[in-house]
Amino acid sequence: MGLFVNILILAVIFGFAGYQIYRAVKRSKQGKCAACDYDCEAKKMLNQSKKRAM
Amino acid sequence: MTTVALLGNPNTGKTTLFNELTDKYAYVGNWTGVTVEKKVGQIRHSHTKVIDLPGVYSLNPITKDESVVTNYLLGHSPDLILNVTNASQLKRNLLLSVEVLELGVPVIITLNMIDDLKRTGHYYNLKTLSTELGCPVRTTNARNKEGLTELKADLVRDQSEIKPNLPLKLNYPLMVNQAIRQAATSLTKDYKVEPKFAHWLAIQYINNNKVVRKYATMHQLKPLLSQKAYYDAQKFDDQIFETRLSFIEKTLASATEQLQSTQHVAITSKIDKVVTHPIFGLPIFVGIFYLMFKLSFDWIGTPLSGYLDGFLSGPISSWANQFLTQAGALPMLRSLIVNGLIAGVGGVLVFIPQIFVLFACITILEDSGYMSRAALVTDRIMEMIGLNGKAFIPLIIGFGCNVTGIMAARTIEQPKERLITTLISPFMSCSARLPIYSLFVAALFPRHQALIVLSLYFLGIVVALFMAKFYHVIFKAKEHSVFIVELPQYHIPRLDIVWHGTWDKGKGFIKKAGTIIFAGTVLIWLLSNFGVRGYVTQIDQSFAANLGQILLPVFKPIGISTWQPISALLTGVLAKEVISSSMMVLFHTSNQTALIAMIGGSFTAISAYALLVFILLYIPCFATIGTIKSETGSAKWAAYSVISSLAISYTLAFLIFQIGSLLM
Amino acid sequence: MNHFMIKQFNGLDDATAQRLHSLGLQVGSSVQAVRFYPFHGPVIIQVDHQKIGIRYRVFKLLTGGKPL
Repeated sequence: MGLFVNILILAVIFGFAGYQIYRAVKRSKQGKCAACDYDCEAKKMLNQSKKRAM
Repeated sequence: MTTVALLGNPNTGKTTLFNELTDKYAYVGNWTGVTVEKKVGQIRHSHTKVIDLPGVYSLNPITKDESVVTNYLLGHSPDLILNVTNASQLKRNLLLSVEVLELGVPVIITLNMIDDLKRTGHYYNLKTLSTELGCPVRTTNARNKEGLTELKADLVRDQSEIKPNLPLKLNYPLMVNQAIRQAATSLTKDYKVEPKFAHWLAIQYINNNKVVRKYATMHQLKPLLSQKAYYDAQKFDDQIFETRLSFIEKTLASATEQLQSTQHVAITSKIDKVVTHPIFGLPIFVGIFYLMFKLSFDWIGTPLSGYLDGFLSGPISSWANQFLTQAGALPMLRSLIVNGLIAGVGGVLVFIPQIFVLFACITILEDSGYMSRAALVTDRIMEMIGLNGKAFIPLIIGFGCNVTGIMAARTIEQPKERLITTLISPFMSCSARLPIYSLFVAALFPRHQALIVLSLYFLGIVVALFMAKFYHVIFKAKEHSVFIVELPQYHIPRLDIVWHGTWDKGKGFIKKAGTIIFAGTVLIWLLSNFGVRGYVTQIDQSFAANLGQILLPVFKPIGISTWQPISALLTGVLAKEVISSSMMVLFHTSNQTALIAMIGGSFTAISAYALLVFILLYIPCFATIGTIKSETGSAKWAAYSVISSLAISYTLAFLIFQIGSLLM
Repeated sequence: MNHFMIKQFNGLDDATAQRLHSLGLQVGSSVQAVRFYPFHGPVIIQVDHQKIGIRYRVFKLLTGGKPL
């Protein structure tokens, strides 16, 4: 049981880290708006319209 | 839902007003071009949406950010336009207002910064203005929240309650008027363009508005296109300008009221006498920066950072260790959390004080109005390298983050100058590089911390300027740069604006600690705890060590004699802060003091300085690379930026180490 | 003493001329030169209670000099 929890926590940490690196690479490919950390209203609207388009 | 668009000249306080009206705050500065893209916010407890557009002098754009406004008006129809004007410079502000009023959309004009106007000794009769212009006129002072409640009441109305405005009709010369009427009539008849919009479109087209002309070509609006040569040959644009200006002068003359004159202008002039002094202006500029670094490193930032480090590496670290041991965690997990995450991510977080103090200083500079003076005193130097003083503003913004710096370059008029500014921006030492400087200066230059860091910042600027000159020659940029800066009145920085600005710039740093710095730390922990034979206890057998050792011969000539910094540099491409956290993990230290001692042992003053120079200039982080790509519109420039900065940083670090070693 | 009259916009590139127009300058406007920077650096001029920094070359042209 203890081992299982240990492995689970490790997996969560590695998974999160891997996801963040993946996201950083992907965001840098998209460029300016995505690379900016400020989640402004214009960006939110842009994301929403993208979702709707899909 | 009612949509209100905020529109006005640069530096009229639109963004401050936007922040006061809506619950959201956007980025505020006392220099031209703070808003480079449009922002949207919502007025509290209402269905009114407010759009903050970049400041423009006219609807005919010169720069990239200015075209956002014209494109917005061509594509959208807001329910109401709030035209924000700087009350003490109403004459030129109204030039834009006239263009907007001709559109026929409901407009409210607000005379903002009304207290500045009162201090100059005039006032305007609002009723006269309102009748002449044909729209409501209000007064506000967004910085002191004066007049905002009344204005808000005007804005939160329902769509149906907004009174329509008739488009403003000026008495243009006969020929011009005829041309406008003919074009508008046939646009309405043959192309089903709405009459008011057709009228406006015709005026703008005749007035040589580049965006409108493109729009007409795209939509094949023949009535306009066919007459283009005639309009231009008759110089109708000059006649339109003169008619507008004389209308404004007449209106203002009839509305002006005299008050007693007083002192505020005198204060601005007094400050300006010193900071824009022809000879002392530049030394003062340097002095202000020295003071900024003194504050961040010696006086406020570093002492606070020391306490934070003591807390993280002491109680927090040992408590986590005990807790994990008692809970029966695997040694591997314990190592990951204590030696990896707490030491690594914590090792970056302890720099929050330095970074926030620096951001507060930059915000104060922006808010007070000093930035445009900086552009002025540096212009002569910038002219020598083919740029102009205004390029200095994006570069200074780049001290916070290169991404925002590159975005701010949009305010530069000439495309080639903008490209050059974008390419040299990564050489500006962004705040992410601060943690690693702090570690090294504390280890090897304890007595001259601020001075060494300042020298790195200036080296970054010098390299940037040198490269700019180089590009200028290569690109054969012959166009004259447009250098016109407004010098606004000084403002006493307001605490909440400074705090908001600081928080706005700094929160990205905290967020990064939880995301990319976290990820980079996990990556480096993995690399340093696993080797070809799986989990290793000896770090010398890990992937990180192998990788570092392979590259060691390459880095020997610049004075790096251990493999740890090399592996740390590799992870630094994710985000520059990761270099510090990687060093923490790779040197297996749990607190800053121990790491500083380790660094002190494996570097000399010269090799440390060479490494710092390398870190200053080498490959930009992922986010910056992406921004270069999107702003220049080509992956080639991004790739070029990576390769060139690597070559430059290596060459400089090599020279510094080799020449320095000879001299010592 | 340092008062000048704007004589012309000829010889300026379009962008500069347009921006100066937008700031309310036209032929006949009177401007006050507040400060000159050394080595033909920028000039601070004052028009209608506003201070503007422009290049020396532009200043010379506006006040009737020959294109450099």
